[in-house]
Amino acid sequence: MVIDDDLKLAESLLEKITISSTRPEENRVDFIIHASDIKKATLKLLREGHWGYLSAITTLDCPEYMVDETTKEKKLVPEKGHLEVLYHFCRDAAVATLRVSLPYEDPTIDTICDILSSATLYEREAAELMGITFRGTPNTDRLILAESWPEGVYPLRKAFTGLKDLQTPEEGVCS
Amino acid sequence: MTSPVSPEKFIVPIGPQHPALKEPGHFEFTVDGEIVTNASARLGFVHRGMEKGTESRTWVQGLYLMERVCGICSHVHAMAFALGVEKLAGVQAPPRAQAIRVLIGELERIHSHLLWLGVAAHEGGFDTLFMFSWRDRETVMELLETISGNRVNYSANVLGGVKIDIDDKQKDALLKGMDFLEERTRHYLKVVTEDETFLGRTRNVGKMTYEEADTLGAIGPTGRASGIQRDVRVNSPYAGYPDFPVKLVTATAGDLEARFVVRIEELFESYRLVREIVEKLPPGDLAARVPRRIPEGETISRVEAPRGELFYFMKSNGSDMPERIKVRTPSLCNWASVLVTAVGHKLADMPMILAGIDPCFSCNDRIVTVTDHASSNQMSWESLRQYGIEYYK
Repeated sequence: MVIDDDLKLAESLLEKITISSTRPEENRVDFIIHASDIKKATLKLLREGHWGYLSAITTLDCPEYMVDETTKEKKLVPEKGHLEVLYHFCRDAAVATLRVSLPYEDPTIDTICDILSSATLYEREAAELMGITFRGTPNTDRLILAESWPEGVYPLRKAFTGLKDLQTPEEGVCS
Repeated sequence: MTSPVSPEKFIVPIGPQHPALKEPGHFEFTVDGEIVTNASARLGFVHRGMEKGTESRTWVQGLYLMERVCGICSHVHAMAFALGVEKLAGVQAPPRAQAIRVLIGELERIHSHLLWLGVAAHEGGFDTLFMFSWRDRETVMELLETISGNRVNYSANVLGGVKIDIDDKQKDALLKGMDFLEERTRHYLKVVTEDETFLGRTRNVGKMTYEEADTLGAIGPTGRASGIQRDVRVNSPYAGYPDFPVKLVTATAGDLEARFVVRIEELFESYRLVREIVEKLPPGDLAARVPRRIPEGETISRVEAPRGELFYFMKSNGSDMPERIKVRTPSLCNWASVLVTAVGHKLADMPMILAGIDPCFSCNDRIVTVTDHASSNQMSWESLRQYGIEYYK
């Protein structure tokens, strides 16, 4: 099977950096790595192994929930949980995903733009919508959100449910 | 008389509003005389928060929401979403449904490529070709309307299959339509490869080598025109593509002409595929049952939209609503290639280079305000003219 060979090649390339790896689907392999290893892992895959191309960067918000005993309602526990950044690399049908977990207090990771200049748009999107800081990214201008959008408000975070909750000075500007 | 020496660069803003624009985007081209020395983009004018929107809607509602991400390639979005949900739920859509998905996907590609051919010709100042290709595009639009009842947002998919069937009358109409379009497309291929005036705008313009396309992550026809061997339909066949394989169309020149040729060659491949599916449509059901609550898990769904690979990352938390849907549309990948290939070209070539990746919008016109960087004031066309008269008095 070609897919299996591709996945095995990715596994061997990243062997030394991987904390753990799983095969969630038959064409996919997920690598959990340290945030500090992202450049090294990207170099290994793209430069050393010529393993496919960066297809997308996904960001996930994984907050902790608690269930209210009386109302049985699911509620967010403030400040608990973490963010995840997923780098998806594709080689034909095979998909290798580098998963990095980042804490809410300091969601910072190195940019990969110096290796792959085209990653800038993905990084800007992740920075604006999920509040990830990419250390050394060449451009941090607003890409998607309005200029009047308040600083430090990240719409894809689970805690964000609408601008009405926020006491913004420019009320109504962003609606 | 000497002109004042200014360390400031001259930046030409293009967009976001334009009467002929189908989608807004803003570009700033830094120019040295006629030559572009830097380019930057600002997107998001039509950002509607759809990824977030899916998180407060059910999976079924999500299907209809995602179909509205794009007005041109709406079907591929719904197909990518439905295929992902089916993977998460462990449900397989019946073969007839998968074939109909591919059939509509290819009809959509035909309409999209013909639309692009017209837009790109218009950008090149070739309005006759624009009028002709859009007239012919009506053939496929009418076929789509006959099949689905809609010209856009065909709404053919349901979770687990499709909701429309193809009858014998529609089959005849499809075959007839493909014959007409194939003949017309042959003529267009001749026009874009032989017309001297048009070749002046496309040959060796916006050239991107294989290495550049590879590192910039160019996908779809834009990448394939530079020899990138990437097509999800071929590399990772989905829906009905394992039963109805397509041929990979590539070129090596990497210029605008190659992008025309690749898209037109792909049209022939789509006509062939539509005929094949119509003739060999497998019998059976149209849809399988998908539960309301989707089991917990994550999946990646990739399909080939007319503009390139469309990527969906989907995460379910086991409820009837998605935990996270991430969409990466093909145009986002190809912007990088525009911003890099633009450098070194004449400003007058920018509309063609922008249109070359098929972002489905034109940037012919330019905003008539000039940013005065020294004082960061905006000058209107009138005040600029007045300034010029005063200056040369």
